[in-house]
Amino acid sequence: MQAVFSTPKSMKEDFKFTFCPGCDHGIAVRLVAELIDELNLKENTICSTCVGCSVFLYDFLNIDCVEAPHGRACASATGVKRTNPEKFVFTYQGDGDFASIGFAESMHTAIRGENISAICINNTTFGMTGGQLGPTTLMGQVTTTSPFGRNKEYYGYPVKIAEQIALCDGTAFSARVALDTIPHINQAKQALKKAFEVQLKGLGFGFVEILSSCPTNWHMTPEEAHEWVKNSMIPEFPLGTFKDLTEVGVNK
Amino acid sequence: MSSEKVLIKGNYAIAQAAINAGCQCYFGYPITPQTEIGEYLSAEMPKLGRGYVSAESELAAINMVVGAAATGAKVMTSSSSCAVALMQEALSYACSDEVPVVVVNVMRAGPGLGYVYPAQGDYNQAVYGGGNGDYKIIVLAPATVQECIDYTYKAFYLARKYRNPVILLADGLLGQMMEPACFGENPYPEVDVSSWALTGAKGRDGKAIYSCARDEKAHIQKIHDLFKKFEIITENETSYEEFETEDAEIILTAFGSMTRNIKAAIRVLREKGVKAGGFRPITLSPFPTKRISELAADGKDFVVVEMNMGQMFKDVKYAVEGKSNVSLVNRPCGEWLSVEEIVSSVEKILNKKEGAYASCI
Amino acid sequence: MEKNFILAGFGGQGILLAGTILANSFMLGGKNVTWYPCYGAEMRGGTVNCEVVVSDTEVSSVHKQDADFALVLNQQSFDKFVQRVKAGGTIIANATLVALSKPRDDIKYVFAKMGDIANAIGSSKVTNMVSLGVLADVCDIVSREYLAKAVELVLGEKKKQFLPLNLKALEAGCSALV
Ligand SMILES: Cc1ncc(C[n+]2csc(CCOP(=O)(O)OP(=O)(O)O)c2C)c(N)n1
Ligand code: SF4
Ligand SMILES: [Mg+2]
Repeated sequence: MQAVFSTPKSMKEDFKFTFCPGCDHGIAVRLVAELIDELNLKENTICSTCVGCSVFLYDFLNIDCVEAPHGRACASATGVKRTNPEKFVFTYQGDGDFASIGFAESMHTAIRGENISAICINNTTFGMTGGQLGPTTLMGQVTTTSPFGRNKEYYGYPVKIAEQIALCDGTAFSARVALDTIPHINQAKQALKKAFEVQLKGLGFGFVEILSSCPTNWHMTPEEAHEWVKNSMIPEFPLGTFKDLTEVGVNK
Repeated sequence: MSSEKVLIKGNYAIAQAAINAGCQCYFGYPITPQTEIGEYLSAEMPKLGRGYVSAESELAAINMVVGAAATGAKVMTSSSSCAVALMQEALSYACSDEVPVVVVNVMRAGPGLGYVYPAQGDYNQAVYGGGNGDYKIIVLAPATVQECIDYTYKAFYLARKYRNPVILLADGLLGQMMEPACFGENPYPEVDVSSWALTGAKGRDGKAIYSCARDEKAHIQKIHDLFKKFEIITENETSYEEFETEDAEIILTAFGSMTRNIKAAIRVLREKGVKAGGFRPITLSPFPTKRISELAADGKDFVVVEMNMGQMFKDVKYAVEGKSNVSLVNRPCGEWLSVEEIVSSVEKILNKKEGAYASCI
Repeated sequence: MEKNFILAGFGGQGILLAGTILANSFMLGGKNVTWYPCYGAEMRGGTVNCEVVVSDTEVSSVHKQDADFALVLNQQSFDKFVQRVKAGGTIIANATLVALSKPRDDIKYVFAKMGDIANAIGSSKVTNMVSLGVLADVCDIVSREYLAKAVELVLGEKKKQFLPLNLKALEAGCSALV
């Protein structure tokens, strides 16, 4: 008999998530761990971690990790990869980390076409610091630093990360996925797999933006939060693949 | 609201005081334990028709501040330790540019990401700076929520009066705690900035604000001028608090919110018959070197009490110049040194009589 | 005189608010006072606490190791903070959610069914106010009169409609121990 639900091998045995109950970070980390198992990468991987709710990723994943300062994971990963080209190198970052404080590093890593994979958890807010307006906060969305809702006068517009990354010549794969339903979770895993594979094939920068819930700072139950992903986030941040060098014809 | 006492959090006190001081625009990026400053201002500034910018990073925020300040605008940013580290380049420029920027640092523990609880590990970062070259910043260290208000007013005033960056160096304890305080009126006059602020070259030649000089001679002169200016600042603005130093044999020295603990420790030591006094620099830069030197010449020993590995300790030693003993009672971060710990450490130091030594808890 | 209070419970029990009211009551009584919350990762565990220190002189240590009085509204907080009461100090517990036990014999214990009292008045949401009433009864330096004024001050104009219920809860707390 086969166990239906077991902990991926590349997760630490005694790991205890520091995420809030119902947070999609937990699902995303699990998907990453499953893929590391499936692609047999555990012993060949180095991860550059970020600063955000996933800051303690190295306590969950049983792989080598180097902590980068807030926003600098792609730069850190570039350093790791350039000196260890045979290693599998990835980053796991929040939207604030990847697309606010670290957007210059993130974009230039894509522009240089670094052979790394980057994952960005987009929960429309700075989760760890208590729910401030971030680069992907939706228009009208109320946060602790946009108490009257996001408006263009004070805050400008949200960034569409996956589309921006797809515009970079060095990008081999860029997609946006969500975790609000089982089919979406399956699609997310497929996209992550591609973002990993382009690196393994040496095609360039592999990127996945994951629309995720933050029930705590959205002041919602986990179910309400998934409804909000579906009804508010996905219409603004359409799911899909924006660049894919592995599939002729998809590459726009 | 002005003369009424209110129970208010240090972070909110700083934010409201900035509004009262006339801050026209706030630029910032969240970081614990000071995020409430930005949160408060994001709610209040729009109501007043003033500016609030959610900067994409601290690096951007401080440069927004420098740009705005170059036009004579009253502006500020706030952050904490590891993120204030990102502002060091711009602070070096701002000193050389002579633009009046106000930076609030609500310290947490370092090094690196450290952790979000209070510490005093950025004394060196603030006083000596992490930027390049010779430059000096004015650093004010409040010890109470009331002083968070008072020194925020002062920070805006001094920055413009001397065209020099000012850092308000608070800590997570002050940022997070509530204490009764009174806003009063901003006591400082307006400073005329028209002679240097960029306004568009209407009816005059264009002028530029820059940090580099055209040649070696001019650059040497520029640095000398900046340091002369800081001599004037030292002369006029050096500020400290002394308690019961007159008959004291041993002087407890602390900055920021640790001042509260040494004050209580002095009371306990006095009750036990120890002639203890207190000295507390309010301006960490300019540092009250002269006064410490005088006290040391009177044969008074010093015990520096701080939540870091002995950063102010070095400045006190420098001021004392071997004229008396200087010891250190410290902890790098974590639980603030309690009154009991301070008292027992001082007693240990007193029992050991000769030589200068450090007692590290 | 410097006394410190730890107030603790789970998120949603209004612990920070209760602490704020207590601190305001001291301010209204002309005392020096500080209030310091838990923050950061501490909040993730689901428990919330704050410290209130009152003093005749400037408050020395805002954040202390040990408390003269611990006011705890749930079991988790009781277990944690019973260890942080000074010898001779008092722990005041919400017996609705805290089991009667006396793990140390060098401190005093006060148990009151604060949750039940609050429910009887109309809402478990005012358990925090009942608890302040009990505290005022147990602790001389906490004044009922200033507490009532502080409730009014903290609720302000915006939440004025909740004032009667809160005051009733406070009063009920004051006479809970008979
Ligand atoms: C240089 C610097 N600035 C700010 C912070 C404070 N900080 C820590 S995490 C974080 C935001 C994280 O948001 P995001 O990247 O979206 O991740 P999430 O927590 O939402 O998963 C911030 C602003 C920091 N640690 N370092
Ligand atoms: S704050 Fe939001 S993003 Fe962070 S762990 Fe909690 S639910 Fe997840
Ligand atoms: Mg985020």
